[in-house]
Amino acid sequence: MTNQANPSIHPNQPNQPDNNPNTNHTNSPNQSTSDIIRSERGMTTKRRFTDGVKNFFTYLSTGLSVFVLGAVFVFVFTRGWSTLNWHMITGDYWSGNYKAGFTIQEPGNFTAPDNLEEGAVFSTKYGFAVKDDKNHEKKDIMPLLYVDPNSPLASSINLASGDQKDQPLVPDINSQIKKITYTNAEGKSTTAGLLGKQNAEAMINTLDNESQGIVSVDYQSAGGGIRGSLIATLMLIGITVVIALPIGVFAAIYLHEIAGKSKLTNAIRSAIEMLNGVPSIVFGLMGMTVFFPFTALFGATTPNILLGGLTMAVVLLPVVIRQTEEALITVPDKLRMGSLSLGATKTQTIFKVVLPNALPGILSATLLSISRVIGESAALIYTMGTFVVDDPKLNGRATTLAVQIWSVMSGEQPNFELASAISILILTMVLILNIAVKLITTNLNKKWKE
Amino acid sequence: MANVRDRIKPAAIKRREVTDKVFHVLFALAGVISALMIIVIFVFVGGKGIAPFLPSYGENRQNIWDFISGMAWRPDQNPPIYGVFFIIINTLISAFLAALVSFPISVLTALFIVKIAPRKLRSAFTTVVELLAAIPSVVYGVFASAQITTLVDNIARFFGQSTFGGTSLLTVAILLAIMIFPTITSMSITAIAAVDKNIELGSLALGASKTQTNFKVVLSAAKSGIFAGLILGLGRAFGEATAVSMVAGNAMTGPTWNLFDITRTLTSTMLSGLKETTGVDYDIRFSVGIVLMIIVLLTNLLIQYIKRKVGGVTND
Repeated sequence: MTNQANPSIHPNQPNQPDNNPNTNHTNSPNQSTSDIIRSERGMTTKRRFTDGVKNFFTYLSTGLSVFVLGAVFVFVFTRGWSTLNWHMITGDYWSGNYKAGFTIQEPGNFTAPDNLEEGAVFSTKYGFAVKDDKNHEKKDIMPLLYVDPNSPLASSINLASGDQKDQPLVPDINSQIKKITYTNAEGKSTTAGLLGKQNAEAMINTLDNESQGIVSVDYQSAGGGIRGSLIATLMLIGITVVIALPIGVFAAIYLHEIAGKSKLTNAIRSAIEMLNGVPSIVFGLMGMTVFFPFTALFGATTPNILLGGLTMAVVLLPVVIRQTEEALITVPDKLRMGSLSLGATKTQTIFKVVLPNALPGILSATLLSISRVIGESAALIYTMGTFVVDDPKLNGRATTLAVQIWSVMSGEQPNFELASAISILILTMVLILNIAVKLITTNLNKKWKE
Repeated sequence: MANVRDRIKPAAIKRREVTDKVFHVLFALAGVISALMIIVIFVFVGGKGIAPFLPSYGENRQNIWDFISGMAWRPDQNPPIYGVFFIIINTLISAFLAALVSFPISVLTALFIVKIAPRKLRSAFTTVVELLAAIPSVVYGVFASAQITTLVDNIARFFGQSTFGGTSLLTVAILLAIMIFPTITSMSITAIAAVDKNIELGSLALGASKTQTNFKVVLSAAKSGIFAGLILGLGRAFGEATAVSMVAGNAMTGPTWNLFDITRTLTSTMLSGLKETTGVDYDIRFSVGIVLMIIVLLTNLLIQYIKRKVGGVTND
């Protein structure tokens, strides 16, 4: 009569919806209690199945989140990696048109370097290499890839009138050659290049076979760089941290070290908590109404970096306060009591005993703030504008890296390549900062464990 | 031998006390300033947002009732029409759709991380959630406008529908679902981890299987924290701006019920055409900002209410 091997017996729990009436009832009068308990050890096939299905869904959900994280990374790296290079990081965003003449116009005899990239066409007469390419608007461009140090192109001077006239103006690598004017066999000036519907190979062929010398080159500087945004981001980080950190740390000290539990501190706490829930775009509106008159004192007439910094400082206050307070909590009370009993004032105790011990927490607050500033966009679109500027000033418009992404994406022709390349930079910075914060916090919690 | 204190110059003691007082005031000031910012936001944004409806605004004055009940947003017309009601509905729909997708996945992931995953994998998966939370919203925006739009376009074609290059309500919902996932998950992780071990042991002792305990006992004990996470996620979905504006499509009228039709949220309205705008078209964005603030505030109040009402075993 032992039912131990019978898998169809299962507990009759009130919580269990899938109670199968066909299975043997455990409360059969013929069974002793010990038999029942023994038989409960094995689960029914059905139970096993539903448990399995439920567990499977948890695996699936977790797998999905890992997949999304992977998909974002794979996307950003595949679309942006080829655009990400040193020229992009240090270059101007806006491209300008230039016309350069040469102090040396005679052809020479050059050999191509070994490391020219695929598709490059080298001019043996003038010692430079170009290739055919398309920009993100799918228009043909002909970027300059290489200039020999002795090439006539290396002797370029500016032909445009103005105070820059006759100053050296060597085209940067990646500048887009539009046309090259050369003297042909009869000594007449003729043009070759994209404007004459020639591709790279045809242009180089014309130059190498038909020319006696070259007169001028019309080109467009590469553009699409992020130097301005990078500088603006750093300035913004500086301003924000300088404002938010002291106020935030002081407020945390007030809440944790000085104010006791009272209605007032509770109100302050919930006000700060609410600040944390305000959408960042509303902070942008607040910045424009509250802080703009203040930045106008510094000569600002448009949204500006200073305004962005002040606004971001408010955005970050709850973050800094929370992080600092968590660090203050970990400092054991015996340290404070020791200091106070030696005759130190409360202020002395805070600055000489409590804060040094909470330093890792304040550091992680700083890093987290920097990470938030790098990633923030909505508040800054209002307070700093969306116009990419190559040489940002404190009281003028500028974009951070994140806002530049928004700016290049919201135009008529979204530039996915540049946006993804900037995304790679942002992601790398943000992830490093976040992992650093995590390590610091873990160590901080370990420190006072004993 | 006299007291050590007597040897300290009275001036030095005085100075110390003054410094102490000064810093106490500074600390308190920092606390009060931080707390006041929320009031500053309400007063200033509110003041500027109400201005277009006041008689003092001049000839471009808007009718507040038309604004609140309006079903069209046509800044291109003369005179421009600013109606926000359909935008509110659109915002709510997209956020709720996102929550519908994200909530079960988030809760199951949290349950897996805390109760099911092997100890070694636990921190790895927690890191995954934290990284998802750390990715800036513009990056999600770029990802969405390239990948999710394509996905949605393919789904639409499968159902014999067409989209405007993939920008649609569904795209916004999927994007928001991804963006609120870390919020709900991390709140759920905290709530599930805080469930009293004894309740679990009790359930196991009564003969429930490990999975039954996880799904019936642990989840219901943690439900207050989990719902708070859901509402926090909704709040984030309402306020999300840059990424949404890249894929919303900015419909002129609405509300949008078709998943494959373009939509317009409060935040995308505040960002659309910002580059070249002035006058009433700029000021009305502050009015939209107030509406957004009110919605977010109501969501916050809802969290408080749920925390009190739903209860659960975690907050005893």
